[in-house]
Amino acid sequence: MQNAKDSFYVALRTRLVAINPERTVLLRAAVRPGILVEEAEAPFAQLPADVFVLRWLGLGVEQDLPAAMVSEEVEIVYSTLGTRSFGGLDRGRALSAMDEELVGMLTPFWTPKLNYSATPPVAMLTNVFWDELVFGPVTVVRDRLTRTARVVVHGYQEAGE
Amino acid sequence: MAANSYLAAAPVLRRVRGFFAPVNRAGCVPVLFDPAEMGQFELDAPPAPWVSLGWIKDFARRASSKTAAVQTGVPATVLEQVRETLDAQVSLRFLSWTKLTMALAAGSQHMNLLASAIGAGAGAVAIQSGATATLLPMLATDAAKFAAGQIVAVDVDYSGQAGFVGSPVSGAYVKSALAGTLTDVDYVRRVTFNVARIASVSTTGLTLAEALPGGAPVAGMKVSAVVGFVDREGGSFFQEWSGLFVMEGAQGERIFFYYPRLQALGSAAETRSLLDAKRGGSLERVLLTGDFRALPVTDSLDGERVVCYRSFLPAMSALV
Repeated sequence: MQNAKDSFYVALRTRLVAINPERTVLLRAAVRPGILVEEAEAPFAQLPADVFVLRWLGLGVEQDLPAAMVSEEVEIVYSTLGTRSFGGLDRGRALSAMDEELVGMLTPFWTPKLNYSATPPVAMLTNVFWDELVFGPVTVVRDRLTRTARVVVHGYQEAGE
Repeated sequence: MAANSYLAAAPVLRRVRGFFAPVNRAGCVPVLFDPAEMGQFELDAPPAPWVSLGWIKDFARRASSKTAAVQTGVPATVLEQVRETLDAQVSLRFLSWTKLTMALAAGSQHMNLLASAIGAGAGAVAIQSGATATLLPMLATDAAKFAAGQIVAVDVDYSGQAGFVGSPVSGAYVKSALAGTLTDVDYVRRVTFNVARIASVSTTGLTLAEALPGGAPVAGMKVSAVVGFVDREGGSFFQEWSGLFVMEGAQGERIFFYYPRLQALGSAAETRSLLDAKRGGSLERVLLTGDFRALPVTDSLDGERVVCYRSFLPAMSALV
């Protein structure tokens, strides 16, 4: 499933750059697109604002198929305090912008699966695909708005995986 | 060594896409679809004359063909089977209301509601030379009668034609030339599918927001403003379309259902679905329901009579 998870993350990151190249994050002294995988970074005391954070959750395997299908749910958490220039009063608009970006990042609903443990990445035979997004309600902690969306990502196990 | 093929599971898909093309009624010629040559077409830009009707819901097909056993001997045992009847039906729900989806779901003649101020009777506006599918040149005084955002119907005056009328789709069949109180110079523009929305108006004519289905207007066509569409229960006219339904799997595989000839099976009907069924509420989405009967064609390969073709283009690298 790691190849599917990597492919999903890279697809979203590539699409985010096309949708909103200004959404970036400074992480480990490098400016990167504003999306990260929580389990691949050092633990956060508080998740960074204005960044999409992928958190992998449950796992299921359907083995009664010619190729086993592995499904894993991912939670995408993002929050914002708005911008300083508006004193945070635009935090609702900022969250709506992130909602729209997320919908755009997940369309189309599939991406080719690549093996990113190799350099350069090696194209595999199947696609990774996913279901419709399910948005959760906004949670408010002081001036920070946070939303969680969930989607189930599927992929077929290929030989050697 | 890395594998270069795999055993594919059943296709996983999210939705079905529908495309329709008008059958040449006068010549009884359906529109061909060859998946070997056209199977990888871009779903958002289907090859002409196919028109995308967007995503459709609850696509279901039912083959009603019947077989019978030829029995022989005592006690009788089945010697062979024969096909007694050939019949198939398709049903679906359209996720949009357009001229075409409404007409397809209507089951009978579908008409344009002409604006009485512009285009009814002698008010139809003549098109000047140089017209294209998206540009309708006309005199400044004529152009001033229209406004951006209006819908227009473009077709010829009715002057006693009989048979199939309307361009490029046969919108009606006139059994015998209309005369007396039935005469209406706008009749063809009332039934035509050659309609489009105006994007802008200038002193030299109209620029359309979408291409006219019939392409560049021919000499003699005039323009009438349209305020909406109407269909009616009854009448003897059946529209006929070629239908193509595409299922695109998550691995890039495609399944095509090609019906060369489809005629509406039922009357106009709508279904309603709750906008937010999970949480209740009273908002409902009204969906056009289409039920069609597939009519047979003769396959030029071997002369067999058939009503539908199912094609499958496997995913890349999938073992077949």
